[in-house]
Amino acid sequence: MAEFLFKRLLQAIFVVLAVTLIVAFAVRLTGDPALMLAQGAGSVTEDDLVRIRAALGLNEPFLVQYFNFIKGMVTFNFGRSFMGGTPVATLIAKALPATLSLALASLAVSVTISIPLGIAAAVSRGKWLDQLIRILSLVGLSFPNFWLAIMLVLFFSIFLGWLPPSGMTDFSSFIMPATTMGIILTATNVRLVRTTMLEILQAQYVMVARSKGVSEWVVLYKHALRNCAIPLVTYFGLQFGGLLGGIVVVERVFNWPGMGTLAFDAVASRDYPVLQAVICILSFLIVFVNLLVDTAYGFIDPRIRRE
Amino acid sequence: MLRRKSFLVCILSVMLTGGFFGVAPVFADGTLTVSSPQDPGNWDPIDTFLVNWASVSTNIYDGLTYRGPDVKLVPGLALKWEDLDGGKRIRFYLRKGVVFHNGEPFNAEAVKFTFDRLLGDEGKKGPQRSNYAVIDQVKIVDDYTVDMLLKNTDPVLLVKLAGYGAMIVPPKYIKEKGEDFFNANPVGTGPFKFVSYEPKIGIKLEAFAKHWGGAPKLSRLEYRFITEPSTAIAELQAGRVDLVIPPTIPIGMIPTISANAKLKVVSVPGPTVYALRFNTANGITKDVRVRKALVMAVDRDAIIKSILGGQAAPISSFQGALSFGYDPTMKPVPYDPKAARNLLKQANVPTGAPIQIDVRNNDATFLEVNQAIASYLKQVGINATIKPYETNYRLNDIVPAGKTGALFQQSWGGWTLDFDNTAYAMYHSKEKWNPYESDPKLDALLESQRFITDRAKREEILKSIANYATDNAYEMLLYNLKAIYAINTRVKNFDAPPDSRLRLTNVSVE
Repeated sequence: MAEFLFKRLLQAIFVVLAVTLIVAFAVRLTGDPALMLAQGAGSVTEDDLVRIRAALGLNEPFLVQYFNFIKGMVTFNFGRSFMGGTPVATLIAKALPATLSLALASLAVSVTISIPLGIAAAVSRGKWLDQLIRILSLVGLSFPNFWLAIMLVLFFSIFLGWLPPSGMTDFSSFIMPATTMGIILTATNVRLVRTTMLEILQAQYVMVARSKGVSEWVVLYKHALRNCAIPLVTYFGLQFGGLLGGIVVVERVFNWPGMGTLAFDAVASRDYPVLQAVICILSFLIVFVNLLVDTAYGFIDPRIRRE
Repeated sequence: MLRRKSFLVCILSVMLTGGFFGVAPVFADGTLTVSSPQDPGNWDPIDTFLVNWASVSTNIYDGLTYRGPDVKLVPGLALKWEDLDGGKRIRFYLRKGVVFHNGEPFNAEAVKFTFDRLLGDEGKKGPQRSNYAVIDQVKIVDDYTVDMLLKNTDPVLLVKLAGYGAMIVPPKYIKEKGEDFFNANPVGTGPFKFVSYEPKIGIKLEAFAKHWGGAPKLSRLEYRFITEPSTAIAELQAGRVDLVIPPTIPIGMIPTISANAKLKVVSVPGPTVYALRFNTANGITKDVRVRKALVMAVDRDAIIKSILGGQAAPISSFQGALSFGYDPTMKPVPYDPKAARNLLKQANVPTGAPIQIDVRNNDATFLEVNQAIASYLKQVGINATIKPYETNYRLNDIVPAGKTGALFQQSWGGWTLDFDNTAYAMYHSKEKWNPYESDPKLDALLESQRFITDRAKREEILKSIANYATDNAYEMLLYNLKAIYAINTRVKNFDAPPDSRLRLTNVSVE
């Protein structure tokens, strides 16, 4: 187990380094942060721009800048934002929990809806409930999340006045963003649960359990679900990675102060330190979640643990 | 059966919980909530040039002079000033009895400290310094008198002293707490003092009762940073935000806001003017007749009326009506497609000649405007393609290198509302924004007015520059966009500033 973890950790570090190197290089090809800072200043001369670039550390060769960034990363010193000099670590310390909590809430919403719905569809296969659930999931898949978000705001915030339209304040502010992301995820997850359950329900031990008189609830949620956990956990884990990326749009509509907003603003203003730090942390997170997923197999399936 | 039931229970409980929390009206007595589209990240006057910095900070700081929504320059922290030594020395007589928010006294030392810092090492790191580079140094005459020595005369300096880098900062506070702390915890002499700041989320201010201009009517002022326009307007409709400032509001949402009885739209002429500048070095637009023809081919009034919903004004030179240097006798070039076709024929331009219009890719409204322009041009036999560019790429690689199409988007407008700011950048040779023209006559005109303090004389020169540029058709002038604010009717006495520099001392809420 330890060897397995160690190898995966090395893999993770390699992936993160590769991603940050590519991003750091690519973003430097696309424009001058000094010019972005001075935008609107009619009388900025080339000399001033040179001075601003020096203050931002942009005059060093690329590899020196990159090396400084990696060095800082190890000590959790991600440098300072070009837009205003706020320490990047401060920005991330606020943004990361916001995004993680939203991502987890979305995943929770999705899992809570998709498992019962998927099981219901599998059990009533071919009947009207199954058809209805499959149609609904197709409709859910087709919603652009931006549109869904705005519709929810229109209905629940403006029309009904029940929920806050934006911002991360209390529990009620989580509901719409998490639901928006959750619904989109549910659409695929329902089908996955349904398919996996259908397979499992054919198994002999399910027939035996039923004939023993075990309640349907226990048959489905204890025996059958646990056996389809592996593909589900894999997929949910992979989704988490995709979630982190896709959450940018939802964060923007709901003005959620998370990593997505940070990244979006950083790209627009060529804020290299912030962008590099955000990408670095997000890639590390995705790799870490995948590692967790792999480790989780051992807990779900004792046969894998023994291998 | 069980599954269905549990699922329904699940959904119902989620909905009920949401309803239980509800959304109580967020108004505390005397609090105004403003939605600003951008967090400048730093509240130090010398570190930024963003318009949205001034939307907040004009409440926190004061300058030696002050210029409000009526665009008139009045005393600020300086009661009066006099030009000495032929304009190269300005003596400021400072206001007495003023304190900073932390209790520190305002005096000549604070003024000297402010400008030493702006022009010195700290200022060199930021974009503000270059705007005040004409100042050589500030000398203390006595506790309430300072002399500002200039390297040259600068007719716009007094206006520039009203905002941004020249706003007065507290010496003791900065020396004690350090630069980093000051960036996130600003202290000034303005009508509102800083309470708290959460990066990317918002900043909270409260009234400073000891302000020299009188205590503000509001008790608290809160800014929330909301980038997405539809979100900002949703917050306004839900009653959680009272004021949305430009440039957030898209023209298309104005009817939605106006239809709401509790909201209203307030628009004033803004500083920004839009044009399509010509590539005067290559292609068919090298010929001034072709340029004039292209301008005449487009019905700019119709565009303003239909696409911009009337939220703009036509322009006759590259500045708005509030700009110093604006010539009211100049009329916009009339819409005359017939004359346009004739000119094109004279210039031997073949029917169907292709041209490219370069625009920014993030301005949906301007893209619509260009689609209309392209169809007008088609009617006189020109095939225009619109090419959107990412802002940074355009800024760095396309425009300065002179690689644009026949027409390229240019919008400009400084808060100083002085034509020199635009004209010099657009028309002087070797300026970043002017990759094509090099006209010694125009250069001489531009340089001649930069140091004249005689307002009337300077105005004449600026007007003649405006006429010269229009005669040579350097651009297809389009419009001066209005600054559009959306406000809850419970807000009283709001005077909309054209330059987004909000100063909310007299504003109150019901």
